[in-house]
Amino acid sequence: MMKRQRVISFLQTFLALGAVLAVVIPVFLSDFPWPTSARDYLEAHGVADSGARNLVSAIYLGYRAFDTLGETIVLLVAVSGTIGIIAQSGVSLARGFGEEALDRKTASPRLRHRRTELIDVVTGKLGPIVLIFGLYVMLFGHLSPGGGFQGGVVIASGIVFIALGSKNEDSTRLQEAGMLARIEAAGFLSLILAALSGMVTGSGFFGNPLAGMGASPVSYIVILNAVIGLKVGAGIGFMCVAMMGRVE
Amino acid sequence: MLDRLLLLLLFLIGFWGIIARRNIIKKIFGLTIINSAVVILFILEGSRIGNSTPIMSSGIADVVDPVPQALMLTAIVIGVCITALALAMAFRLYRSAGTFDIDEIRRKIHDEAS
Amino acid sequence: MKPPDIMMAPVYLPILGAALAFCAKAFFQGRLGKGVEYAGVFVGLGLPWLALAWGLPLVLSGEALQIVMGNWFGGVGILYRFDGLGWLVILLGYSVATAAYIYALGAGPRGPGFSGIFLIQTAALAATAMTVDLFNLFVCLEVMGIASYILVAKSEKPGAFLAAFSYLMVSATAMVFFLIGFFGLYRLTGALSYQGIAEGLRSLPENGGIIALVSLSLVVAAVAIRVAVMPLYGWLPDAHALAPHAISAVLSGVLIKTPLFALSRILMVLPAGPEAGRLMGYAGAVTALAGVTIALAQKDTKRLLAYHSISQIGYVVAAWGAALALGVHTPAGLALMTAAFLHALYHALFKGLLFLTIGTTTDLAGERDVYLLRGAAGMLRRAGEKVPVTLVSFIMGALAISAIPPLNGYASKAALSYALKGTWQDGFLFLAGIGTTASFIKLSRIYWPVRKRAPAPAESAAGKTIHPAVQFSQGLLALLCLAGGLAGPLLSRFVMTLLGGDASPAASLPPQLFSLQNLQKTGLVAAGGIILFLLASTKPGKGLMHLIRRRPRGFQGLFLSFTLGLAGLSLWLFFQSRPVGW
Repeated sequence: MMKRQRVISFLQTFLALGAVLAVVIPVFLSDFPWPTSARDYLEAHGVADSGARNLVSAIYLGYRAFDTLGETIVLLVAVSGTIGIIAQSGVSLARGFGEEALDRKTASPRLRHRRTELIDVVTGKLGPIVLIFGLYVMLFGHLSPGGGFQGGVVIASGIVFIALGSKNEDSTRLQEAGMLARIEAAGFLSLILAALSGMVTGSGFFGNPLAGMGASPVSYIVILNAVIGLKVGAGIGFMCVAMMGRVE
Repeated sequence: MLDRLLLLLLFLIGFWGIIARRNIIKKIFGLTIINSAVVILFILEGSRIGNSTPIMSSGIADVVDPVPQALMLTAIVIGVCITALALAMAFRLYRSAGTFDIDEIRRKIHDEAS
Repeated sequence: MKPPDIMMAPVYLPILGAALAFCAKAFFQGRLGKGVEYAGVFVGLGLPWLALAWGLPLVLSGEALQIVMGNWFGGVGILYRFDGLGWLVILLGYSVATAAYIYALGAGPRGPGFSGIFLIQTAALAATAMTVDLFNLFVCLEVMGIASYILVAKSEKPGAFLAAFSYLMVSATAMVFFLIGFFGLYRLTGALSYQGIAEGLRSLPENGGIIALVSLSLVVAAVAIRVAVMPLYGWLPDAHALAPHAISAVLSGVLIKTPLFALSRILMVLPAGPEAGRLMGYAGAVTALAGVTIALAQKDTKRLLAYHSISQIGYVVAAWGAALALGVHTPAGLALMTAAFLHALYHALFKGLLFLTIGTTTDLAGERDVYLLRGAAGMLRRAGEKVPVTLVSFIMGALAISAIPPLNGYASKAALSYALKGTWQDGFLFLAGIGTTASFIKLSRIYWPVRKRAPAPAESAAGKTIHPAVQFSQGLLALLCLAGGLAGPLLSRFVMTLLGGDASPAASLPPQLFSLQNLQKTGLVAAGGIILFLLASTKPGKGLMHLIRRRPRGFQGLFLSFTLGLAGLSLWLFFQSRPVGW
């Protein structure tokens, strides 16, 4: 019976791969010349329209900012859902990170890790430096490669470093569940309010509210980068630090 | 051509991982691999029409296509979020069934339900 | 506030509401937290109705609003379109979502996290209905998907995580294929909006050739897997059966229909679109019959309802596909599309109602097996339901799905058979109707009183009461079902106007809805259903049911069917594009 199942499984796999190959080859291996219309327009007008010299930032925070909002929503929902799914299983997350960890009897009293001195010293000291680098990547996204998401992820790793390296729990409030959740929620609310602000000044939903007002429209992009960076950093940091709390 | 053939191979390996491997974690690996293959395909092909990064300073001309790069930022983040969620579900399945093998899990759940 | 801003309200208001709900979770506790959460829900589910009301005169006059989001350059920016089709789909989405949320207040999952994710799902539905940009469709489908994976996993049943995991893997893989299709289309045209892509393809020799056909089939297959037509239906029964009841209602009612109508926007403009629609129409007719056959064999109440969803979406897709094949702006095509939407709307109402009432009943009884559960009517009465709201609502839902007048199912099925008159698809739908009646007789047995000889089922629900919110939501949906049936012709003309064109003489509904011929047909179907039910209760019948139930299903099967469907669609499009000679 096992042999027969294995043969069936092999045949199914073979058939599926063959079908996929037949369909996907024309698209992967086509030699049709890549269109230049978008690039030409952006080269000519991108900086003037949005104020950002980084054309990629101009696209995902200007022309297609709604896609970025969707992406931020996916991140928010994924973090919330992941923590929810794990916490429901009764595994003790770090204190305060589980859904009702505070009144469960199984909440872990403190993070107990067998760490070497090396990690404590290095990550603890590196943490603030990584945070600063993350802030730089986030805020300079309109001038150099970077932006909200990239900076946010670096900030999250900074938070993880700090959480790993702290000997007692009150070295910084950045590793507390409540604080990170608050930053994330506030960041998301600010993002949607920033998106709606365009409506008040007449440029439509997700339009740049500063367009045509005389001020350089790039400030809007910087604000968006900052808000997205904080939200993403807090969200991913929340997820990582929550999973670090296992009872040994 | 060679680079696209390699990407096609990468894509097929990932897809094979999803359908042929029985371990759930390996299926999630497969999903991540096919995501990466498609992202690299976009960026690679979009880079053929230009020579410099799309950051406009004085004297920069003939940049690569910035649209695929911006779109793939979104696709990468979404892929990561799906992976995280899938891993959380795999964790719950492991805790309830004791194994990562999908056939075993399905059998156990059917036995519990009936 | 300018018109484009109000037009986008069904999208950003739920997002704002969700932001409030998440803030409530993070910042506030207790009463204040609940207050902020419910304020968010009101903003997200209540206020958009005002926007819909505002938009009605606009779309009734046949106009459509098309904007670039944020007033950026159209070639790179995101285009959105508010027209009759969008208005109708948003109406469908919001009505079911509101009813399901009210139900969840009484019985279902609760909490600011649930409210937030529910609101985000609703926002994604509205966005999917209005977008005319291909990459934005990708993002909206992903948002909708990730919200639904989590909501399915919120029920703590053992199979729910496996169902959610399978659903996630299949959907996520399909979306990667969508990206490849998008790659092909962008490569050929350099445009991201449907119109831009269509114009670009038409300016190429052979409308883009093989690459265009293959890319289109990748996009269509990826969206079609969310619609769950055969052969792509494998993930649906587990996911819909094991989700919490309010979520099952929204999944079956809205989440399998919105991608369908979003897809119609693509297929209406792209060169090879009508042909793809035609094939999907054929698949829909087959789905209707096959789905109901499998449904008849099911033991678990919610799984039976889930297979019925597959069958009923087959009805919708059969008409929708035929409409696209003929062209939506021809009178016949318009009639077909009207019938398809009407059935989608009515099905959302009565299927939502069925899931909610069956959910209440099985929760109360603690038993989900159709063969074991009996006497539920008595249980409901003992649980404090003086006025039998749940029982009556269930009966109305069952009558609606079996197409008994005067309920809405009768009106929409009459519309479908009138629009599809004479084709083989109509024959399939007729047979499927017989199967539907039979399986609902089987399902309704759970309410019949206990026979003296059979042991009384364990009442594990002693002391449970039924929340008034639950009764309210069920009653509301039941009334809407009744109203939809009585106002059938009126609503049909309304939908037809919105979908483009004035109410032409070739109206979608037969001139006399309650004519003798139609009633005779209904009687025939009902009689056939009773006979089929009696046949299925016999020994050989039961054996066949058992065989159907035990057929092998696996994780691999989901992907195999997806790839084969994809390859089949590409082959079909390829052969249809060859002028002669095959």
